[in-house]
Amino acid sequence: MSKFLKKSIWVFHLNTGSCNACDIEILDVLTPYFDAERFGVKLVASPRHADALLMTGPVTLEALPKVINAIEATPRPRILIAMGSCSVGGGIWHDTYSTIGGVRELLKILKEREIEVDHVYYIPGCPIRPEAIIYAIGLIKGLVEKKISSKVKKAVRRTSG
Amino acid sequence: MGKLGFIKILVIAGEAGRVTRRYPFKPETLVSEDFRGRIEFDETKCIGCGACVNACPPNALELVDKGDGTLLLKYFIGRCIFCWRCIDVCPTGAITGTRDFELATNDVSDLYEVVVHERAECSECGGKYSTIRQKEYVVEAVPITESYIDKCPDCRKNKLLRALERRRGGVYE
Repeated sequence: MSKFLKKSIWVFHLNTGSCNACDIEILDVLTPYFDAERFGVKLVASPRHADALLMTGPVTLEALPKVINAIEATPRPRILIAMGSCSVGGGIWHDTYSTIGGVRELLKILKEREIEVDHVYYIPGCPIRPEAIIYAIGLIKGLVEKKISSKVKKAVRRTSG
Repeated sequence: MGKLGFIKILVIAGEAGRVTRRYPFKPETLVSEDFRGRIEFDETKCIGCGACVNACPPNALELVDKGDGTLLLKYFIGRCIFCWRCIDVCPTGAITGTRDFELATNDVSDLYEVVVHERAECSECGGKYSTIRQKEYVVEAVPITESYIDKCPDCRKNKLLRALERRRGGVYE
């Protein structure tokens, strides 16, 4: 975690063709029950005012140029937060003709066009739970530890030879 | 609302009390019993049959043949929609569901889980087929298969065809 993430994170909500379930959960986080504003998180109306982009949806081909414009408009250092299964790995749309299939493909396109993104965070869930978003905010601000790690397990055979 | 209107709001706020959750500063049970989270594999039970791969709607589960005698069952949490259909179809009960929702990360490779299987070798042609664990599972369930389970499906088919040819007076190589 770098130093600048300790200040209040202002976020811009970027829908790239999602089904609106994740968007509703983002609004749910801002209600008094979960209250993301106690961490200083605030929705802003323009990417030019934002520190982070909350990306939902699998990035449709129609939305791609607009997404790139929005990322370019965000001042450095910029964070990209991929929310929901669609955004992280393409979700159920990972191999359809009309989407590029999530943030990993988007990062390749951004690299080609030499647009830099300083931090990328991934939040899986379909849709993401409000608690998962709170946990991610805690992770970005360094309040909680990362709990997930990659695992390689070897299947155990019973007979030998 | 007059000058003392805020008193009304204070009364309402007093009745409602504090509703905001203290998570993540205080550990709380946030999710209900019915909540579906990340799935977990029991590597002692998994046989690598691929039933979960067939059932998975977004292909979060994949079987990858590495070509060096191993078969990988790959689980990518970033694509999983947490429908738990894999748990329903698993014949050995190797997949269990957890209530785990704290999956946020800054490294996408954290979201992979892999079970490594050994592939079985055919005693006749030496080709790879199925997995050793699946072979053991079949023999345990139906012991009569032990006589021909060490051959791959192609060799088994050829053996049957040759037997038929012999019966019908055909040419036997």
